[in-house]
Amino acid sequence: MSDTQSESTEKEPTPPAAKFDLGGRKAPLGESQVWLTAMGLALGVLMTLGLLGLIFVKGLEVFWPHPIAQITLKQDSTATLSDSNILAGPITETRSIKTGDTTREEIQLMVGNRDVYRLSFHFLNAADVVDTTYPEDIVLAERMEYGHAIFYPKFATLADGTTIPANGPGFAETLNRLAGETADRRKVIADVKSDGMGTQNRKILKAERKIRALERRGKATPEKIAALRETIATAETALVPLGAELDALNAKQRAATLTFTLPTGEERTQPFGEFVAFTYPNRLSIFGKVGHFAHKLWEFVSTGPREANTEGGIFPAIFGTFVMTLLMSIAVTPFGVIAAIYLREYAKQGVLVQWVRISVNNLAGVPSIVFGVFGLGFFIYVVGGWVDQIFYPDAVAENRSVFGTGGLLWASLTLALMTLPVLIVATEEALAAVPRGAREAALACGASKWQTIQRIVLPSATPGILTGVILAMARGAGEVAPLMLVGVVKVAEDLPLDSVFPFIHAERKFMHLGFHIYDLGFQSPDSEAAKPMVFATTFLLIVLVIVMNLAAILLRNHLRKKYAVASF
Amino acid sequence: MPDTPAESQRKPIPERFQVAKATLRFDTFMGYAIQVGGVAIIVAVFGILAFILAQVLPLFGKAEVTERRAVPGETAPSPTATSSPAIGLDEWAELPFSFSGGDAVTFTDLKGERGTFTLPVEIPGEAKISTFAYNPAGNRLEIGTSDGRVGSATISYTAEFTDGIRTIVPTIEVGKFHKVGSERTPVEAIGYGASDSKQLYAALVGGKLHVVTLKEKRGLFGKGKVTKDLELDLSDKLTSPPDRLLVAKDGRGIMAISRKAGSIDYLYLNGGEFTLRQTVHPFADREDTKSIARADFLFGDVSLVTSSTSGALRIFSLFRPEGQSDRIFGQTKAFPDLPSGTTFFVPSLRNKAFLTGTGNTVGLYYATTGAVRWSDDLPFETRSAAIDGKFKTIALADTTGTVHLLNLDDHHPEAGAKAFFGKIWYEGANKPEYTWASTGGSGDFEVKLSMMPLIFGSLKGTIYALLFAIPIALLAAIYTSQFLNWKIKRVIKPTMEIMASLPSVVLGFIGALWLAPVLETKVPSVLLLCLGLPSAAALIGWAWNQLPVEKRCKLKPGYEFLVFVPILIFLAYAFWNLGPVLERICFTVPDPLTGKPISDFRVWWPEVTGTPFEQRNSLVVGFVMGFAVIPIIFTIAEDALSNVPPALIAGSSALGASRWQVVRTVVLPIASAGIFSALMIGFGRAVGETMIMVMATGNTPVMEWNIFNGMRTLAANIAVELPEAPKGSTHFRALFLGALLLFLFTFVLNTLAELLRHRLRERYKLV
Repeated sequence: MSDTQSESTEKEPTPPAAKFDLGGRKAPLGESQVWLTAMGLALGVLMTLGLLGLIFVKGLEVFWPHPIAQITLKQDSTATLSDSNILAGPITETRSIKTGDTTREEIQLMVGNRDVYRLSFHFLNAADVVDTTYPEDIVLAERMEYGHAIFYPKFATLADGTTIPANGPGFAETLNRLAGETADRRKVIADVKSDGMGTQNRKILKAERKIRALERRGKATPEKIAALRETIATAETALVPLGAELDALNAKQRAATLTFTLPTGEERTQPFGEFVAFTYPNRLSIFGKVGHFAHKLWEFVSTGPREANTEGGIFPAIFGTFVMTLLMSIAVTPFGVIAAIYLREYAKQGVLVQWVRISVNNLAGVPSIVFGVFGLGFFIYVVGGWVDQIFYPDAVAENRSVFGTGGLLWASLTLALMTLPVLIVATEEALAAVPRGAREAALACGASKWQTIQRIVLPSATPGILTGVILAMARGAGEVAPLMLVGVVKVAEDLPLDSVFPFIHAERKFMHLGFHIYDLGFQSPDSEAAKPMVFATTFLLIVLVIVMNLAAILLRNHLRKKYAVASF
Repeated sequence: MPDTPAESQRKPIPERFQVAKATLRFDTFMGYAIQVGGVAIIVAVFGILAFILAQVLPLFGKAEVTERRAVPGETAPSPTATSSPAIGLDEWAELPFSFSGGDAVTFTDLKGERGTFTLPVEIPGEAKISTFAYNPAGNRLEIGTSDGRVGSATISYTAEFTDGIRTIVPTIEVGKFHKVGSERTPVEAIGYGASDSKQLYAALVGGKLHVVTLKEKRGLFGKGKVTKDLELDLSDKLTSPPDRLLVAKDGRGIMAISRKAGSIDYLYLNGGEFTLRQTVHPFADREDTKSIARADFLFGDVSLVTSSTSGALRIFSLFRPEGQSDRIFGQTKAFPDLPSGTTFFVPSLRNKAFLTGTGNTVGLYYATTGAVRWSDDLPFETRSAAIDGKFKTIALADTTGTVHLLNLDDHHPEAGAKAFFGKIWYEGANKPEYTWASTGGSGDFEVKLSMMPLIFGSLKGTIYALLFAIPIALLAAIYTSQFLNWKIKRVIKPTMEIMASLPSVVLGFIGALWLAPVLETKVPSVLLLCLGLPSAAALIGWAWNQLPVEKRCKLKPGYEFLVFVPILIFLAYAFWNLGPVLERICFTVPDPLTGKPISDFRVWWPEVTGTPFEQRNSLVVGFVMGFAVIPIIFTIAEDALSNVPPALIAGSSALGASRWQVVRTVVLPIASAGIFSALMIGFGRAVGETMIMVMATGNTPVMEWNIFNGMRTLAANIAVELPEAPKGSTHFRALFLGALLLFLFTFVLNTLAELLRHRLRERYKLV
């Protein structure tokens, strides 16, 4: 468009002539400024790609198995653990520390075994390292508590008392088999706890609340109370065999044990029930590593968190984000479309509507936290308060809140309100883009106003509306600040969807990917241990948001072709 | 259509050309539904503003006081004592008492059927009460006797429940009395203060100031043994003979007030010895009178409320003058004058409010903000007053002994325009300042709710972010819209837009946990990058132009960007690693600990500028927030630049302008309004950004422009504090005020931007 380089050489010189006599050798004026602008763009693009690259690498690296280094330190090193100068663990970081004028290299080692060392990460002075080896038979074990364990296995003691030495053939398979068995049993235990005992406990709780409610209202007749007490008694008797079953299962979990030696020399024995999985990272082939990587990634997205969210997966957070975003889009779409149709098709186009349009547009720029404040003040305290007063007087009397506290419903509605302006603007633009000819043709054929809108205008505006909805969803999925006020929590006991009536529990608190990042990175007691998890979660959230945005762009292009009505 | 062809051929049926009724009805229905729905939705959206406003408005209201009931006094106050009668309230404001120096306290049951009854104050020995002072903080009567002894009596209320009905039972516990001075003359004035293990009585006996300190030895079980520790005569330390005494609650400060002389001597106990630290003349500058009518401690015993006999009302608070180590009293507040000197005073035990007045005039004042919460001329003359612990009831006793109970409806006494936007001299501070400190440890803590540090923080973060973002975004927008090859542009634009969709929590996390530690030691490198990259870019451009045209034309215009990326990466790498060299050359200072020269920017900055260096600082915030702001500015500015009519560009190119000249003289001026609106929208986004600010700033509400420390922004403050703020409290509403400010600010900014863009569009139409 501005291809002026060749033109400048052919230009007629105007006085003062010398200034413009470029003689075909010099470049046009201001080329260095052009290069400066090129730098701006280059910086912008590099920043974006750099950030995405950082998150991708750091996020995926978490799942890649790192070899375990066994490091021998100098005898007089200050970095010894448990009085031993031999340490082992994956090297997670090397960094240079600057104190004054001297810079030294430091190695961060994930030594694990937090129950023994009281720390998971250990910093060593690189100068202290005498020797680094990668022993084949060192094991990295994930545990239910105290993070990872890194050790040399000695022998396994089975439930019947037989021991299997670690140096025997097929010991790795034995470990995995036992870990698998305990994992299966863990599932059974969880089922017994949640389905079996949970159901009974809910019954008891419900009956107790009913008794209290009846007494409070003075309607407690002896028959009613007796019936309720009966229910409680039945539930309590039903709990007894379940408790016994649970004890038996727990005993089985503790029956088989593993004896192992830590790199620092301590010998320990731990029941298999406390282990989750075993790997020999130094033995893994490249395929083994890829398999491990895939397995870990799957585990991350499909299981729940452990140990204050620093271990395990993030399935509840993914699920919470998904359900919340879905509810939000269900809430926002009809309202946004109706408001946009009104503004574009029904309202008298005048100064007032123009102002309303500008204001709605500007609402999209109002900080999200303001909507969060509104959600807390209005939805939770006012509306939630009313709902509780009217439908849950018993809960109010016992100082419990059902809807009067943050929850899924209020979070969805708050975000719906926040994204409403975005959708109204997008829909209006889509409606405005429908050619006048199409409308007029429909009206000329005798269609009524609504018929025109329904059959002609809305279908051709659908791509635009859908794009708006997806963009709104992407914004909603990535937003955290308002959610902090209206019901997102660190750990949600139950998912908002389950098999207990009424299946969708819109009053429950929920977990969210974005809040998970904030919570892990800033509220967790061991932020160093949580860092990999944060990066992994960040990676997932970014992928989700980018996929949604790309989907919006692609869908727009695709549907634009499909519903191309512009050629009248 | 049910018509058969045969029928329709015979004669025209008008119905055939009519629209079906159902269609029409449905059409009308949908018309109404959409109109009603649309209007409702739009109204609801704007209802947000109304709702937030409704939450904020009570903050700016005044106190409302309404008459509840009057209880006639059985006995008129006895005029024996030198002190004015005391009245007090229990926690439930059901059983007020009055005491006027006799041998009994009169209680009036307002709720039950006990009527008026008395409980005796039994002073050991044969003596009358010669003076007393009532301290509402401990519900304690400090008593001086006619035979020169001092002691105190505590009135306590306990609630007893019988059949679910609450009865409040008062008890009076009289403590041990101690002899002051050697003579058996009546005590003229008394003051009492106690800390954990120490008690202090100050008494005026025969014109002399006697002080007794008591030590309590704490036993393992039960009450400790109280023994006399010091006994002093401090009369010679005073500048004028006092007639009233106040002792601070820590038992270390004595205020000896001389009403006639208009002076207050401030004695302070330090190292077992009292010294005269200061003599305050509260009304020395007044023309009419310099004498004091009353002086009393405000709740917390750090501030003195003084009133001159002519009705001036001033507050003196302890503060530490610059360069001094001792805290002295200085005037911090002044209130409008009353008709004459105050005759009664009572502090609130819940906040810094106090009730005072003279004659028929009564006023409720708030010390922190210096506001008159309520003031009225009542039909009776008040002699003494009380405020209950819940700050809901006021009791006023008039000259006939009648106790008037008033409902006090003042939910947010500490709020007000001055509290939010003005400079306030808080207790303990050394000068008036803007402070945000919404929660504090102790009970007499003043809530400090100034919005200014938060507004300042928001602006600071925004400005540093924009300093970084604007150049990059605008340069990129200019290049993309004017120079970049369209094939690359198709890829570049979505890439930049994806940057806009990055959740801010991700940016905040990267900034705080990854970038902040990296940048901490690399400030010189960053400095080099900021200066080096643009100059290198311009230099490369200049050098490129020196090349002969044959070589230059090998690179097609619009592809410079691609050439530039590897150069930029190389340069960035080089500058990054040159940082420590720069640090060694420029930023070497003697280490404050060892004295050896040390080249570390983290040490150099505080040494040279005197301002702190923090890891989570504005530099990190600016950089990370750049990610959030750059794409917004870029997209809007790029649109504005691209929409400049091609005819103008072609025209000026045809006239011989180089491509940069076209941009500078034609494109930029025309698109300037659009670019400006892009900046404003970017500004709006940065001001309201929450998660980045919560995570990467350190969240300290300081007011310094120092780039190497953090800030606390309005948005971050809401996110951090609102979940903990009790519903309906002043703190809660103050946070809503923050939200309202954010709302209005961004809304107005965006509207301005929109109007500008609109004008720009109009301008295009002319071309």
